[in-house]
Amino acid sequence: MSFLRNINSGLRSLFRKEQVDRELDEELGAYLEMEAAEKMKQGMSRKDALRVVRLERGNLEVTKEVVRSGGWESVVETCWRDLRFGLRVLRNSPGFTAVAVLTLALGIGANTVIFSAVYAVLLKPLPFKDSDRLVFIEKKNPPRGWTRNPISSAEIIAWHDQSGAFEDIAAYTQRNCVLTGAGEAEEDPCEVISSNLFPLLAVAPTRGRTFSAEEDRPQGPRVAILSYGLWQRRFAADEKVIGRAFDVNGDSYTVVGVMPSNFSHLYASPFGSPPELWLSGIGLSPTLVSNEYFGIGRLKPGITLQQAEAQMNTVSERIEPMHNDLKGWRAQLMTLRTNTSGDTRVALFVLMGAVIFVLLIACANIANLLLARGSGRANEFAVRNALGADKSRIIRQLLTESLVLSIAGGVLGVLLASLGCKALVALAPPFLLKSAPGLAAGATDVRVLAFALVAVITTTFFFGLAPALQNARPNVIETLKEAGRSAPQSPRSRRFRSALVVSEIALAMVLLIGAGLMVRTLAGLNRVNLGFNPTNVLTLRVPLSGERYKEPQARAQFWEHVVSAVESLPGVEAASVSRGLPINGWVGQFFTILDDPNPPAGQVPAANYVVIGPHYFRAMEIPLRRGRTFNDHDTQSGERVVIVNEELVRSYWPGQNPLGKQLRIGGQGPWRTVVGVAGDVLSQGPDGGFTPEMYIPYQQFPWLMEGPKHLVVRTSATVRPESLVHPVTEEIHRVDKDQPVADIATMEEIAQEPIKQQRMVMALLTSFACLALVLSALGIYGVLSYSIAQRTREIGLRLALGADQGSVLRLIVGTGARLALFGIAAGTAVALALTRMMTDLLYGVRPADPATFTVVTIVLASTSILACYIPARRAMRVDPIVALRYE
Amino acid sequence: MPDKSSDLVQGTLDMLVLKTLALEPMHGYGISVRIEQISNGVFRPNAGSLFLAIQRLQRDGLIDGEWKPTENNRRAKYYVLTQKGRKRLNSETQEWSRQAAAIAKILEAS
Repeated sequence: MSFLRNINSGLRSLFRKEQVDRELDEELGAYLEMEAAEKMKQGMSRKDALRVVRLERGNLEVTKEVVRSGGWESVVETCWRDLRFGLRVLRNSPGFTAVAVLTLALGIGANTVIFSAVYAVLLKPLPFKDSDRLVFIEKKNPPRGWTRNPISSAEIIAWHDQSGAFEDIAAYTQRNCVLTGAGEAEEDPCEVISSNLFPLLAVAPTRGRTFSAEEDRPQGPRVAILSYGLWQRRFAADEKVIGRAFDVNGDSYTVVGVMPSNFSHLYASPFGSPPELWLSGIGLSPTLVSNEYFGIGRLKPGITLQQAEAQMNTVSERIEPMHNDLKGWRAQLMTLRTNTSGDTRVALFVLMGAVIFVLLIACANIANLLLARGSGRANEFAVRNALGADKSRIIRQLLTESLVLSIAGGVLGVLLASLGCKALVALAPPFLLKSAPGLAAGATDVRVLAFALVAVITTTFFFGLAPALQNARPNVIETLKEAGRSAPQSPRSRRFRSALVVSEIALAMVLLIGAGLMVRTLAGLNRVNLGFNPTNVLTLRVPLSGERYKEPQARAQFWEHVVSAVESLPGVEAASVSRGLPINGWVGQFFTILDDPNPPAGQVPAANYVVIGPHYFRAMEIPLRRGRTFNDHDTQSGERVVIVNEELVRSYWPGQNPLGKQLRIGGQGPWRTVVGVAGDVLSQGPDGGFTPEMYIPYQQFPWLMEGPKHLVVRTSATVRPESLVHPVTEEIHRVDKDQPVADIATMEEIAQEPIKQQRMVMALLTSFACLALVLSALGIYGVLSYSIAQRTREIGLRLALGADQGSVLRLIVGTGARLALFGIAAGTAVALALTRMMTDLLYGVRPADPATFTVVTIVLASTSILACYIPARRAMRVDPIVALRYE
Repeated sequence: MPDKSSDLVQGTLDMLVLKTLALEPMHGYGISVRIEQISNGVFRPNAGSLFLAIQRLQRDGLIDGEWKPTENNRRAKYYVLTQKGRKRLNSETQEWSRQAAAIAKILEAS
């Protein structure tokens, strides 16, 4: 209560100042009057009485001032006065103000942009209840070096029942669903989920219900939950949608629920598109060992990730003897947040570090400018000091001026940041946007704005405090004696300013090296031979599902027709069907070698298997190393054949002739003869490695054509692949007009996908480094210009005494070069320590890459010399007569 | 400028003002005179400190002010003790006596 009263009374003094003042006047007036009256009673005249009272009581104005300064509002008032004074001072030097505000705006803006990304991607809790206890469950096979593998039904059930680490474990698996009935056929990503997934996340549908345990059985009722988007789009937001039936991949499903519009898919990996519907019937069973699920677990309170993993591994060891396919597998856990932010963590930390460096450079620059201005204002401070302002008063006022600068910079910076966020969104790889839906919203989040505010206040002290302390200890007598002349710089302040410039250069050096390493990384990644030629290749996908394609033969025929029609289009060189695309994702499979049919458990050979048409190698331009490629005779009636890649030969038949060897996929099925060896393909992108691969002709094994089926089309060098989208789609629809065509992309786009993150980091880091370079060059320039202005007399004297212009030039450039040299040396040391943290982002270049260090040193040194040269030339042209008369 | 109030222990002036007002509502000058009288001229707060204390007490809600005409037809602000002020005075008086007794004991001991 009294706190409120205090505020209220203070506010009254602030806003109804006149009335409050009048009351105080009157009260004190009455006080004096009464005291005088007392004296008059003792026989004094009124005049004398008043005089005595005034003498005894002192100056009334001082008394009033004392009473006024008692409340908190007087502090506000002083600040307000300082603020207005600061604004006036800054307005009087618009050049300085503009440079300082702009520098700060760039620094704070860049920080805000990157922080908004860091917040959205790494810090913001996922929209699930107690999301810090949610974990993403995969598995790894340490002996074989496999990681992040989907898990099997047997493991899910064992971990759930026996590990004791979880409140619950739910599972899902991704599918592609073709929807028919209720409108045109369309293909959507969908998930088959266990009934406990949504309850585990504590999310509820906006209409209807989630699945029941009964519906988990594979033979249970087929029911579906729609996404809000699908409900709006395909079902026209029909309120009576619950209970409606429609067909998914040829089976009839009944709608039981609709998820809310803000439902987040971030329980799963942000790669790929979020599902449009969820299907029941996951059919988990303790005996199924095929690896097709991802697990979401809710840890019991107090259980750590490591404890859970250890407890799960005990269970894994227990069930290992059950089946060969469980051999060697161990749980691999990560928090949902880590799973969603993926490898962006390192990139974002590097960028955050970089922008902080930029802001530090900006602060150093402004501190330097303020110091220079401060010595220009020495007179002002000396006068104020002489008039009774104490040191803290002057510091307070100078800090207020700095605060005005950084608030202006902060406001402009946040405005710039909203533009910057748009640029970041444009640069960011798609999975980053999916993992952080808040990113596109930009710097509007309260926490991001709070960050900007903290940045503003911190920077104020960073750049404002040192100059304020320096300036607040004026040498009153000396300064006033010199009245009008610029005070000479103290060695102490010169050293301080040189130190600022040296640290600016050092920071810029670190940023430039970071940027240089990223440029080299990207150049390296772009130079990598992927093993195929991604230019001039169009890819698209046809789901090919429904009643009509239940028979494998029908699928094969569809592709035969489509490929031959597409190949006869003008501008097409070759076309082929393919199950999956390199980089986009292939499926691994165990296989058996005839020569060694019973390898020990845990060492069963595995390879990606790719079902292709005869012209696939031509379309992708994958070289054939030995043997032959597939041809039109490799049909069901011919010999069963397979083509393997060099990596498979190296892994399983080292030093042997693979041609004529026999293998079969899985444990059964027909034996296939190796007829060719294809060149290796970097199937996980340029920064991945080679994996064993086997290619199988689709005409021989049409039943393998389950799963995603792509069409790859190579165009002639002069035809842009995008230009063929329409004609190719037309040909497909001529064969079957009901088939949706999805995922249209050029192979080049697909090949760029894995390195988009590095590209983003490179682009941002390079722009920050350029900014840092310009700022630190400005720093050197500023310090030298100022010191030349200070030394005009000295230089004039030197010239008058016969020094030639060359020696003056050497003097000035030498000063700057020495600063640059110190900066570069310090920067090199810091960079050597820091770039190691970027190792995960680099490719084909070591963090201590000598070439990058050399080039950056040359760039930084020459920029610094250039920045010295301009003021040095001015110094050279000093006219001795003018200079000596100047003082 | 004679200022005997500087001899006052910090915060004591507030207590003295409260005590003075506990007898009857009074204006600033009255308070000053009363303190001087009661203390036999030992304490004589100056106007600045006095009005600061009054402002502080008012903001803490311990006293309330009201403009009233004085005997010689001027307007002066009369202050009265609030309920809260009365409580505070009681507790401070007790605390003060306790401390004073303690200090006296220490001084006598030596």
